Amino acid sequence: MIATFRYAFGMQVRRRSLWIVYGLVFAVIAARMPFWTLDMGYGEGQESWQGMATAAGLLTSLLPLVHGCMLADRPVRDRVLRVAPILDATPTSRTARQMGAYAGACAATAVPFAVVYFGRALLFVVMEGQPSAIGWAVLNFLGSIVPGLVFLGALAFAGPLLVPPMVFRVLFVAYWFWGNLIPKTMMPTISDTIFDATGDYVRYGLLAPPTVDYGPGPPAMFDFLRPAYSPGTAVLWIGVMIALSAVMLFLLCLHASRSES
Amino acid sequence: MRIDVSGLTKIYKGGVRALDDLTLEIPTGMYGLLGSNGAGKTTFMRTLAGLLKPTSGRVVIGGHDLATADGRLAVQRTLGYLPQDLGVYPDLTARRFLDYIALLKGLHERSARRRRISELLEVVALSEAADRKLKGFSGGMLRRVGIAQALLADPRLLVVDEPTTGLDPEERIRFRMLLSTLAGDRTVLLSTHIVDDVAQTCRSLALLAKGRLAFGGTVSELLARADGRVWTVTTPGAAPPAGRVVSVLPEGVGMRYRVVAATPPAPDALPAEPTLEDGYLALMDDTTR
Repeated sequence: MIATFRYAFGMQVRRRSLWIVYGLVFAVIAARMPFWTLDMGYGEGQESWQGMATAAGLLTSLLPLVHGCMLADRPVRDRVLRVAPILDATPTSRTARQMGAYAGACAATAVPFAVVYFGRALLFVVMEGQPSAIGWAVLNFLGSIVPGLVFLGALAFAGPLLVPPMVFRVLFVAYWFWGNLIPKTMMPTISDTIFDATGDYVRYGLLAPPTVDYGPGPPAMFDFLRPAYSPGTAVLWIGVMIALSAVMLFLLCLHASRSES
Repeated sequence: MRIDVSGLTKIYKGGVRALDDLTLEIPTGMYGLLGSNGAGKTTFMRTLAGLLKPTSGRVVIGGHDLATADGRLAVQRTLGYLPQDLGVYPDLTARRFLDYIALLKGLHERSARRRRISELLEVVALSEAADRKLKGFSGGMLRRVGIAQALLADPRLLVVDEPTTGLDPEERIRFRMLLSTLAGDRTVLLSTHIVDDVAQTCRSLALLAKGRLAFGGTVSELLARADGRVWTVTTPGAAPPAGRVVSVLPEGVGMRYRVVAATPPAPDALPAEPTLEDGYLALMDDTTR
């Protein structure tokens, strides 16, 4: 599993298209969103704890799309490249290799995300003179970004078992916009629910609670899945993301152990 | 390492019967597996490698039953497998690819692993290309990477499926010699539809037809099947109607046909010395009759 982690990480992180696609999507964020000012119109972004939460929020609007799409071809790669028979004839179990490949590819795919995010944190330190931004960035990354990426990675590994990677990518983009970005009043959606993978529950419930209480907002379908932001719901959200990942990885392992090479 | 196969049957989803009640004993040494395309050779090799689960029947390799997880694991610890359709990671170098497979085979000690990889790269004459990415390798070079990965853990059982397909004659001869050298006290199971590969390397062989064992024995026993059944006919006209034509060569104003037939295919037919290919065809004719 460790060997597969190492090699899956290395092969994915050296993939040129990974950096190009991340770069293009980041260019859209940098051009169309207040990524450099971190000012969302409410005068925030001057304090490191707020600034790093805002930066995380902006990046998690679109970069997870790249994360899911760039991972989608990984679970079937050994089969497509016809390496699977050689690997399956080794004494290492297929389940262990799947887990190693998941962890390695998932970690590697998060590297450009981390580079952009921690790059912004460093810029914040230089521009605002607040070294605490690095600490807040670490907390935001681990607490509000990583659980979502873990879940999306598991989804991207399990999905292509049902549909081809290209179809999965189309469905994944549709899911991302429907389930995470569109306003809850536009149509029935899981946006802003505990199943939303953007990490708002940790950012607004734990790391950077809003300074103004805007109330619950207009009613929408699935509001029962939208508990108020709080430290408790932040922890609940992390638990939900990990539990969903565990279920998908379990199904992945079950499939791996039952299928033939 | 002895292999005992009894009543092995593999039926794929969709009902295709790839192996049909196959019973076979494979001794230590080089052993050939012949058969036409679709005869079940690859299914048999993949079953031995633990990649496919038999529908029924039993395979015991070196005392380990492949039906149990422990048995499969024990066999895979001593197995080197070169699949027919070899794939690699194109963005890895030969050395890195072998390093990855070595780790999966349990060669965890770094210096020993590196030493073994360098040795094998030397054996397959790829030392100079070791640090080049595999995407730039020719078919022959990839086959050599394939045999190197199969030998990483010094296997007692080497299963090689159609290893010389697509190789030029020089590469084929080199590959055959390498396999023969490796055999020694190992069991090397060579599956191929190139009869000459078996003729040049194996003492014993099995012949599969439609998933069944059509022949199991020594090369000389298979040769004996064609004794008195190989003829040459030189004629300016068409091929003789009886028997199976093995080869045709222009000779003078006519053509010289080599024919496998139970009786002389023409009045002027001359008997010829049988080759393994003739034995194979004679047997296949008997099997399909």
